[in-house]
Amino acid sequence: MQRAAHTALYDWSHVLGPAMIRQCLTCRAPLQLSSRAYSVIPPPRDTEEKEMLDRILRVDHAGEYGANRIYAGQMAVLGRSRTGPLIQEMWDQEKKHLEKFNEILAENRVRPTALLPLWNVAGFLLGASTALLGKEGAMACTVAVEESISEHYNSQIRALMEKDPERYTELLKVIKEFRDDEMEHHDTGLEHDAETLPGYWLLKNAIQLGCKAAIYVSQRV
Amino acid sequence: MATLLRALRAGRALRGLGGALAAPPATNPQCSSLRRGFQCSMLRLQDESKSDRPPDSSSTTYHEHYQAHSTEQDTTTASHGASAAEPEAEDAPRPNTSYQDQSGEQGEEYETEEQLQARILTAALEFVPQHGWSMEAIASGAETLGLSSASTGMFHNGSGDLVLHFIAQCNSQLTEILAEQHKQVQLGQAEPKKTADFLRDAVETRLRMHIPYIETWPQAMSILLLPHNIPDSLKHLSTLVDDIWYYAGDRSTDMNWYTKRAALTGIYNTTELVMLQDSSADFEDTWNFLDNRIQDVVNMASTAKQVQSTGEAVVQGLMGAAVTLKNLTGMNQRR
Repeated sequence: MQRAAHTALYDWSHVLGPAMIRQCLTCRAPLQLSSRAYSVIPPPRDTEEKEMLDRILRVDHAGEYGANRIYAGQMAVLGRSRTGPLIQEMWDQEKKHLEKFNEILAENRVRPTALLPLWNVAGFLLGASTALLGKEGAMACTVAVEESISEHYNSQIRALMEKDPERYTELLKVIKEFRDDEMEHHDTGLEHDAETLPGYWLLKNAIQLGCKAAIYVSQRV
Repeated sequence: MATLLRALRAGRALRGLGGALAAPPATNPQCSSLRRGFQCSMLRLQDESKSDRPPDSSSTTYHEHYQAHSTEQDTTTASHGASAAEPEAEDAPRPNTSYQDQSGEQGEEYETEEQLQARILTAALEFVPQHGWSMEAIASGAETLGLSSASTGMFHNGSGDLVLHFIAQCNSQLTEILAEQHKQVQLGQAEPKKTADFLRDAVETRLRMHIPYIETWPQAMSILLLPHNIPDSLKHLSTLVDDIWYYAGDRSTDMNWYTKRAALTGIYNTTELVMLQDSSADFEDTWNFLDNRIQDVVNMASTAKQVQSTGEAVVQGLMGAAVTLKNLTGMNQRR
């Protein structure tokens, strides 16, 4: 049966024109189909779905990468202060998120965003500069970033639920779990006097604007 | 396979009911069905010249035909894409050998325009050594299929369509070969190759597909460089390089993703150009050139690693010297 399917596929791909060659997804499908059954992402039905999933995964990966670098920046400045352990704990959770997304991207042959070096530097600088404002600055930065990210995850969850909740159960589970973690970081930031920072409102909105721009760009580039 | 049969029967049933029922929701209507309808009517004119085509019932619209067919296509793609464990007990006698039919016609089912174009272009390839990558080749190809040479009117891009079709065909052949090799390795029937060897073999396999057309390949390359063909040719090239790296085992998710593919693109393009001017036996010189380029990339990667570790060592040395200096000048002491 495998041979027949293979032959039929071979004929099929001979028949598909250049316009349809993108649809020969079986050959381009992740190798997981032959190696293991479990996967977070369902095999895409067509190019549109693949593009949509690619975009979602790419921007999530970029987000976690950026968050990682932000915490790294904060640790570089505040690592040896009283808030060091707290920031380290939040950073470890972000590291876990990044690892998960690295796995998913590799499995599903998703292109990472080309702006990663930019987020590398920008994230570190943001973390370090807000940490220079003191513990409240670092916490305010955390609150702003985590709020942006949670909002972003929520809109992704809404979009996926609208499309087809059953098909994307695994992916939705992952995103929901990460969103809950980010909300927790957000609340932690608030608990640790983020709002007492002078200029809190200004800083928060500036950072959130930057995050929105970063999300917009990472989806496309 | 069972799903395919059911979809076929469903398609025929729909046709029989005269299209009165609502069409099955197409899982993915690619283009506007209006355009399909127009070009379908054009095909209808050609159909009349074909003797082996049964007359379609006029009561059904082509829209439903296409919908049924696209559902069937999606089912087929889905069933192919499904897990490898397909039911072994498939002994329902198949009505005809349309699945093995190279022409792509699903028995008496409707053939989409793209499939027809693909068939014509494939047939045109054998006339390329004679007529070059041109409309004449396509016209000759159409004639061998029993269609009038006026069907070249379907190809607005003419020679571009032909070259892109050939490239897409080669790429998908390569992908199949790589997938087959990967399966062999996974089953333990073959040894995994080293990255450099894998890349060399993959590029060589792909470039050897040009050999039958090597005389006219310069013309093909210049066609691909025309502005309106560049987006498509770049897309095919990037797909090719991505596939090769994926099967070579690359799973990077950082800038390495980009640098690796850029390097392989450079290797592939330069080797292709060298091949055009190569007159040695069995393109020996080209494969040597390919070897050398791949060695260069491997060397560059290890050099980069060495530079990085040297840099780190130097930085540590400098830090140590600075601390020593501070100690010597007594600046470390708190006063």
